[in-house]
Amino acid sequence: MQAFKQSSIVLLVVLLSATACRKDPPPTFVLNEVELYPSGAGKTKLKSNEQYVAILFTNLFQAALSPNDIFDVNNCIESIGDKELAREVIISNFMNDPDVLLPTIEEMQADPDQFIQDTYVRFLVRRPSEAERTYLRNTIETDPYMTPELIYFSFALSNEYMYY
Amino acid sequence: MKRRDFLKKTSISTAGAFAAPYILPSGRLFAPTGSQLVQHVVLVMFAGGVRQQESVLQQYLDGSQENEPYPGNIMYNMLNGAPPEQKIVFGTGEGGINPIPSLLNSTLQSQGTLFPEVSAFSAGHYGGLNSILQGSTVTTQGLKQKPVNPTIFEFLRRHGGYSATDIWFVGNGIGNSTPLLNYSAHPDYGAQYGANFFAPLVTFGENGQEFLADAKVYHPENELSPMYKLKYFLDNTFEQYGSRLETLGNTEEEKQSIKLFMDEMFAKTLNNSIAHPAVSDNGDLRTVGYACELMNWFRPALTVVNLGAVDQCHSNFTGYLAALHRADHAVGHIWNYIQSQVPDMANNTAIICTPECGRNSDPNPILDTNEWRAYDHSDENALRIFSLMAGPTIPSNLMVGNEDNPVGRISDTMMTVADLLGVKPEVQAAGTVSPGTMSLLDQI
Repeated sequence: MQAFKQSSIVLLVVLLSATACRKDPPPTFVLNEVELYPSGAGKTKLKSNEQYVAILFTNLFQAALSPNDIFDVNNCIESIGDKELAREVIISNFMNDPDVLLPTIEEMQADPDQFIQDTYVRFLVRRPSEAERTYLRNTIETDPYMTPELIYFSFALSNEYMYY
Repeated sequence: MKRRDFLKKTSISTAGAFAAPYILPSGRLFAPTGSQLVQHVVLVMFAGGVRQQESVLQQYLDGSQENEPYPGNIMYNMLNGAPPEQKIVFGTGEGGINPIPSLLNSTLQSQGTLFPEVSAFSAGHYGGLNSILQGSTVTTQGLKQKPVNPTIFEFLRRHGGYSATDIWFVGNGIGNSTPLLNYSAHPDYGAQYGANFFAPLVTFGENGQEFLADAKVYHPENELSPMYKLKYFLDNTFEQYGSRLETLGNTEEEKQSIKLFMDEMFAKTLNNSIAHPAVSDNGDLRTVGYACELMNWFRPALTVVNLGAVDQCHSNFTGYLAALHRADHAVGHIWNYIQSQVPDMANNTAIICTPECGRNSDPNPILDTNEWRAYDHSDENALRIFSLMAGPTIPSNLMVGNEDNPVGRISDTMMTVADLLGVKPEVQAAGTVSPGTMSLLDQI
């Protein structure tokens, strides 16, 4: 009897030690990739003519405009009183260049949401709000004349594009 | 409909019916209180300083160089008087020996009124231009700075109801303050009332040909309209954050007209068919050619043209004489072109010509190729200028004041334009002009 008790106690100890709390494995931390963009509210500084032209050219051609050309385009803007009109004419000239890089209408219509997202990021360096996305998607879907070129034109001529 | 609603709507409709005829294109409610004397005004400014001795006093070399007793009038489109007979250096050809023939059958002086002795406020660059355009004496205003007080452009657009393409400033270049003079930084006025501006030798010159001339032509309704619509949506969204760009307020139609004008100017420049004067061998004369084209296209109420070649007098007296002779040729061409090529402006346009300042009585040490001394602008003689005007309602063949009895101040030019175009009471009420500033018409 005494031996049975001792055996039971030993067995109990063994069982308890086998089923006791285990130590958690050490935690592993990872970083998710999140692209951060400023909001429109943070844009308070007006671009100079030179900055505007350099960025516009990069956005449209994915290449850099030479410093001499930037100087010459600035002269053109200075020589016209209505600066918005001057920018409009300069954009029209760039759009007439065969090297301008524009998505096709088919690409835009195949995935309007992606096109909208890309356009906002490219020109305004931010994501569209849901209202902006909806408005632009409706425009793309309902206006038969709306092309990527005209959308790029609007963005390049917008007031927000003049600020950083 | 309830009676109260009916009465409310009826009252609004009635008020609208009465008010509508008085709402001007600019959006202002009432027409200017002054009476408009002419339909169009052209103001020609000679920037950089013109000596009285070589202009209204007609002394030519006699008043400027030692041992050169050769007087004469080298501005015979504008002023009465015989040209010099000897030592001709201001014309065309090698050595400038061929004077440019007069373009007008009778001088502007005989067609209008000359104020031969007018007082300038500033002998420095742009101080005079600012006084002419603002009617004030802000002589401390720096270079590369917008006018502090409202300009005549803004007074006309805000109080006269003129549209953006009714008011033009044509500059001889884009250096220093010139492209900034089309509107002021005044909080009650500013860009929305500013003048349209071109510096044609840049806009339609090499830079413009490379970056502006090849503009794609978009369909106004099918392409431009949706493009603008989306732009306005983006702008409205951005305005929620508080930022708004200054604009001149050209309507979409006005912008389209300006773009078409630019297209035509690029084509005419390449064809060499711009309405340049018979002689167009300097920048001022070519600028004037584009100004004439602009007047023909837009028929502006006010066209201000700034010429600047005379300022080479700092180092080249011979060149200055040639530039002054050409400035006169430019004025003759403008007047001739308006009367003969722009029927809508003929016989209802007034022209005013004035330098922004004079030049010194004593020369500096710089000698030119003829060994003639050059003149800066910094002394009392540089505060002596003239003002010449002609056109309907302006008395002909009249001279007001003389060397011993100066009449008129440089700021009066602005009030005179305001008077001619019907906004004089509003300009006077604004309280921004120099005290004592009067229309020259009120000093006759």
